[in-house]
Amino acid sequence: MEHHGELTPIISLRHVGKTYMSVHRSNEVVRDVSLDVAENEFVVLFGPGQCGKTTLLNLIAGLQLPTAGEVYVDGKKVEAPGPDRGVVYQTTALFPFCTVMGNVEFGPKSRGVDKKTRRERAQYFIDLVGLQGFENSYPNRLSGGMRQRVGIARAYANDPKVMLMDEPFGHLDAQTRYMMEAELEKLWQKEKRTVVFVTNNSEEAVYLADRILILTNTPTHVKEEVRVDLPRPRQYSDPAFLAIRRRIEELCDDTL
Amino acid sequence: MKKKLDVEKMTYAVLAIACFFIFWWFITTFTPAKETTPGPVEVIQLLFTSFFEPIGSHVITGHLLVSLRRVLVGFSVATVLGIVLGVAMGASKWAEAIFKPIFELLRPIPPIAWISLVILFFGIGEVSKYILCGIGAFTNVTLNAYTGAQNVDPELVGCARMLGTSERDIFFRVVLPSCTPQIFAGMQVALSTSWMAVLAAEMVGAQEGCGWMIQRGSDTLNITLVMVGMIVIGCVGMLLAAVMRVIERRLCAWNIMES
Repeated sequence: MEHHGELTPIISLRHVGKTYMSVHRSNEVVRDVSLDVAENEFVVLFGPGQCGKTTLLNLIAGLQLPTAGEVYVDGKKVEAPGPDRGVVYQTTALFPFCTVMGNVEFGPKSRGVDKKTRRERAQYFIDLVGLQGFENSYPNRLSGGMRQRVGIARAYANDPKVMLMDEPFGHLDAQTRYMMEAELEKLWQKEKRTVVFVTNNSEEAVYLADRILILTNTPTHVKEEVRVDLPRPRQYSDPAFLAIRRRIEELCDDTL
Repeated sequence: MKKKLDVEKMTYAVLAIACFFIFWWFITTFTPAKETTPGPVEVIQLLFTSFFEPIGSHVITGHLLVSLRRVLVGFSVATVLGIVLGVAMGASKWAEAIFKPIFELLRPIPPIAWISLVILFFGIGEVSKYILCGIGAFTNVTLNAYTGAQNVDPELVGCARMLGTSERDIFFRVVLPSCTPQIFAGMQVALSTSWMAVLAAEMVGAQEGCGWMIQRGSDTLNITLVMVGMIVIGCVGMLLAAVMRVIERRLCAWNIMES
């Protein structure tokens, strides 16, 4: 597989496959996926509705294990969930019984970071996602967009090597979605991390990605890779933007 | 807006209770029931005098405190045991396989059915009364803790694992808090059940307590005393439920949606 620049990849998948076995039949969801993600790169996995995007992300997270091949993050083989990979969920998966602060400092607290340090760190990211003043609110008092900000701050505050985002804005209305995309981009510029972002929205893909991997329907494999070299922040109506968008949509349609 | 609604609700509550008393008074004054049944005036009179003149060994507050002690001890022990067993059954397949069949078998047996066995094993002392008050509470709390622990969102557990949380911490910081609303719902019912069981418990060689008062009234054909006992049990039961709601509001604030 190609490596990007001189950097060694921080995420590597080697001939990864995932087949769900049941007594009567087997269901192959991911087939022979090999890919590399460089440090601080923003990679979008783009594919049709029910393809194995989320499964692929869960394999990198270690929430599921591959039935073939290997996944490496930062040189170590992934065999279980771990704090070097931060996940932002589509459903937000916030702890409903913790306040915003409690959620954001959950990871550092679990890993034994002392109270003062973790509070400062959590506060920094709460401010960065624009939630100052809501530290003591419970998630059920927040809007969808605000909840997802908490999810992002929580992942960041645990200081992971890579961020895995599973359609984080999938449930939001269009207006909030545009706003969140712009804010995520700004946040990522300020706090560079390696991001793998799953979406089925072509506009979102082109707006955020350094590189887009187009996935096929199940069994999922990488069909094509598209680099996005437009300057940031990108304009949705820019002809070059639209051209890339059309291209990835066509590529995606062909996979159906 | 909200305040106005509260005032309206209060008015209805007071009116409803007033209607009840008027109905009671009417029946015991103008119908043949007056031969046998004491009216509200008599009952309330006895209720007031019982604060100063002892019935048996205590005045009414004494009886009340004795009953409350029995219920609270039985209820607390039952709640702790119920939470442990329920969460264990919900979180571990082994515990579920071992304890669930026994639990399901014992669950439908009402507390009153246990009286003879409890006396046989524990005598007629206080322990028997704690046990009888606790049995009903135990089944309720266990059942709720069990359902709560079964329905913990697996995504939250996965999320905690991703954040680097140890399995022990996941139990205390994710599983237990996730079940608290369910456990509290169980405790609400459990406390009422315990309080209702006080009558059964005080059938067992008791010399004091609200349940004993009712027993005593019934044995001596003093229906007024029975009714005083009923009113006290009713009022205190209502108060206990209200206290539980306040505690729940405090502890499960995250789970309460406000309009």
